[in-house]
Amino acid sequence: MGHDGVRYSRLRGVSTSDHIDGKPTGQTNGQTNGHANGQTNGRRDSETAGPLGRVVATERRPNTPHEFHFWTALDASVGIGTIVRVVGAHPVGGQLPVVYGVVVEGFSYTDLQSPLHDVLGHDGSPARGAFVGTDRTEIRLYTAAVLRQVPEEPLQPVPMGEVFLADDADVACALRMDAYLQSGTNTGIPVGVYHAGGTDAAIYADADFLLGPEAAHVTVTGVSGLATKTSAVEWLLASIFTHFPASKGSVAAVCFNVKGPDLCFLDQPAVELSDGDLALYDKLGVPARPFPQVHYYAPYTANGVALNTLRTHEALAHNTHPLVWGLQDVMEFADVLLTREDIDAKADALIDFIRESVVGHRFADDRLPRAYEVQSFSELNAWFADVLRMMEQTNSESWRTHHIATIRKIRNRLTNIAQRCAGLVTNDGVSRDLPWGDFADRTVYVIDVANLEEDAQDLIFARVVSTLRKKLEQRDLGVDHVIVFVDELNKYAPSDGPDTYVRKMLLDVAERGRYVGLVLFGAQQFRSQVHRRVIGNAGTQLFGRMDGDELATPGYAVLSPAVKTKLATLEKGQLMVRHPHFTQPVFVRFPRPAVLSGREGAERFPRSAEPPLEVAVTRSLRLLDPSVTLEWVKHVTGLYEPHEILRAKAQTELARPGDVRAFFKAQFRAVAPARTVARVTVPPAVHSAPEDDPYG
Amino acid sequence: MDASLRGAQRLLGEWIPRIRAADGPGPTLETLPAAAESPRLEPAQTVEGALRTRAVPGEPRTVFGGFLDGTQASRIVTYVDAVPIVFATVAAVIRVRRDRRLVTYGQRPEVERGFYIPRLLVPAELWNAAVAGGYPVTDTSDDGRPISDDDPSSGRHPAALIERALQRVRDRRQALEHILAERWSAAEDSPLYIDGGLTGNRRVATATGNVGVVKRHRTLYVSAELMPVLAGLRPGERTTAFRIAPVSRTAVTSWYLRLRDSRGRDPTWGLVRIEVSETRADDITARADEVSRWVMAEAAPPAPLALPDPRWDTMAYGIRDCEEFLRAIT
Repeated sequence: MGHDGVRYSRLRGVSTSDHIDGKPTGQTNGQTNGHANGQTNGRRDSETAGPLGRVVATERRPNTPHEFHFWTALDASVGIGTIVRVVGAHPVGGQLPVVYGVVVEGFSYTDLQSPLHDVLGHDGSPARGAFVGTDRTEIRLYTAAVLRQVPEEPLQPVPMGEVFLADDADVACALRMDAYLQSGTNTGIPVGVYHAGGTDAAIYADADFLLGPEAAHVTVTGVSGLATKTSAVEWLLASIFTHFPASKGSVAAVCFNVKGPDLCFLDQPAVELSDGDLALYDKLGVPARPFPQVHYYAPYTANGVALNTLRTHEALAHNTHPLVWGLQDVMEFADVLLTREDIDAKADALIDFIRESVVGHRFADDRLPRAYEVQSFSELNAWFADVLRMMEQTNSESWRTHHIATIRKIRNRLTNIAQRCAGLVTNDGVSRDLPWGDFADRTVYVIDVANLEEDAQDLIFARVVSTLRKKLEQRDLGVDHVIVFVDELNKYAPSDGPDTYVRKMLLDVAERGRYVGLVLFGAQQFRSQVHRRVIGNAGTQLFGRMDGDELATPGYAVLSPAVKTKLATLEKGQLMVRHPHFTQPVFVRFPRPAVLSGREGAERFPRSAEPPLEVAVTRSLRLLDPSVTLEWVKHVTGLYEPHEILRAKAQTELARPGDVRAFFKAQFRAVAPARTVARVTVPPAVHSAPEDDPYG
Repeated sequence: MDASLRGAQRLLGEWIPRIRAADGPGPTLETLPAAAESPRLEPAQTVEGALRTRAVPGEPRTVFGGFLDGTQASRIVTYVDAVPIVFATVAAVIRVRRDRRLVTYGQRPEVERGFYIPRLLVPAELWNAAVAGGYPVTDTSDDGRPISDDDPSSGRHPAALIERALQRVRDRRQALEHILAERWSAAEDSPLYIDGGLTGNRRVATATGNVGVVKRHRTLYVSAELMPVLAGLRPGERTTAFRIAPVSRTAVTSWYLRLRDSRGRDPTWGLVRIEVSETRADDITARADEVSRWVMAEAAPPAPLALPDPRWDTMAYGIRDCEEFLRAIT
């Protein structure tokens, strides 16, 4: 860095002796050291090409420290979002002022005072314009928002001067990326390529502001289908995994697939990437390949035979895992599944009592027939049954201060969780979970909740995110940072509606997650419908093609009409990026993700039909022991009920034993073969008379 | 305030410290009321038969390669013993068509700023300082009519001195226009549309590619009997040609052309007089028709109108562009 924090010699101090009467007599001394900065013979390439325009200001349309105007030739390569550099003509404090700006508005007009004059000129016939010998004088006038002024003090209105198209170095300086792209302390994460005129400049976000601790979180907004929200997140994850500095620790991602097959094929290569996409990957230094480490999790379908996901093709089974929780797993999050009407003070007290004294503990009470060790919903149901029976027999209205009506209500609410979340929550207590404590660096964990009921989705969000947070706080997750990607954020953290457990949890992550390394990547169609505390805490905001109605909401009032128009017409693969270092939004292009899209994946790996129970078990066990055959499974399971077979399969998958066959077989209760039982002669019952029977 | 005017005032203050500069830039002398030229009829020698109406045959054709016009802006810097010291900017430009858009011909326009001072009436120290000061200085008393011999009583009237200075400024502006016209004639083949007459310069008036278009008609080159012919011209019609040969100027061939329908308006509305180099009698009709088609192409739809200029009925858009350009740079 040179003077005043300026990296480029061009921007450094200029002797006032180079000028006579305030008029420039040539280029600055500072330009003579330009080779290191892409300059040639003391001049920048863009300057060699000549100015693009000139700054103008009038009393009615003056320049300010934050905005200026300039005109260009009619064919100048300038548009909304173009970054330009203004070189002032007069030194300030011995330094030529340089101002960087981004075009936010454009005007075009002629010397016509009234449209009627043009009508008169054409005799009212539009077609005659084709034969006109002279076109009217026309202007292209642009308004640019200031990105940066050098020197930054004194902050003055933008001076008159020549306007140049920004080159790579200009873009880095204008967006203040030079602060975090220095060798040795580089924390830049490529987000895309800025393209204007002949400039293709990589745009970097600062990892400290993307994943914390300075700021964190990303939101992506745009209309469905055209805004490429999911693609943007997939690209950003790939970029983070490639460029996140090793000194900052490890990072993993947990993605919730909430609709269709969007995220179901992140480990499969894209069908074909265009040359343009490959060039973008090359420029941004990210390998054009699918994620090498991806693990999928999905609950079972309601009958527990197959996983409830579109990723059921046998070729993809190796890294697709079941997600099954037992009573202890979900008890802490019972509130998620209870409605506001359910949770009064009395119900809350009873739930706390069960959570702290019953589930997972040895529980005994003099009035109950036995001691309990409740581990599963079945056992909890049995405990409730005994409690209620005891109360009925003793004609008690309350037990341990809990009213019988409250106990009945909570029994009903808790024990039907397994039914409401069938496939996810199991009655028998055998759970299959994410690898808590063993999360791996640069690994994506996808949880497919697309086909689940809302209750089950909420339960998964709540438990996974809460556990991530808890494990990160305890430094016991396996990685230092976790990115949680939630699509349809306006559904899970809406700006209005009831204050749900999931919303509270997301707000907590948005406001405090960055301190523990928990980062929220959210996508939504309507940013205005997402809770403002979630949006406000997102350090980086990405915008794809936007809906006009959405752009009309107050949250976009800071954008000029032209920028809004550009947002409403963005092509696929283009984003507008807001980042803490950028004083104005910048438009970038990013490559198509190098992974198989959901639609293409669904075609290439069609969903398997739900197999018979024995086939499903065979497939699962074969992943542990390829020698397992369907015939053997049929032989072993032939005498048992489906829930017993599924339980044995789950136990085997969980234990991953050395001898799979023996372990699986051992999970079944012994069944004695049917035998002929000899009839036993039972003597007639003789009631013995009581000793004090007066009639005996 | 005009930066160059302010510079002139500052210089003047340095030359003669006791002089107080005029307040503010004020309007230019050209915009102040001036003695109007007397309107007159001056029948000219016809060269295409008797003066009559002729419809221009054929369609208008866009042929002009450039448009030439000049501007002037004069202001009084101060008075020295009731003698006005005038500072003027004169400029001329040719604007040429490139891809249907008008751009400046050559490297730059001709622009000249200078003082106009009656040397005999100001202190010698002022004159000497002005000459040494860097700006061109024109002696407005040195025009062949020494003030002292002309009319000592009225010649010293400040208004008379201003008129004299204005005439010198006008001469200088025409000189710049002629320089550009000659430069064009020497280098270009396509015709040049010149705002105003050609007679003031022999080389300009004799170049076959130069077409002068006169918009003001204080002098009408018809007799009183033939005024109905002029007034009856319809759009696309011209008069037959006549010869104009002012004293001490170069003779040219000229005719009137009606560009727009003047019914219900002043008879000179939409009327221009065209000047070209003197043409052989047997070529005059074809030549006048051809040049008329060229001029009509710059005025008739779909050519852009020169609005909002009040002279839009006779002004070509190219000439308005010249004026707007010069206004922007001077």
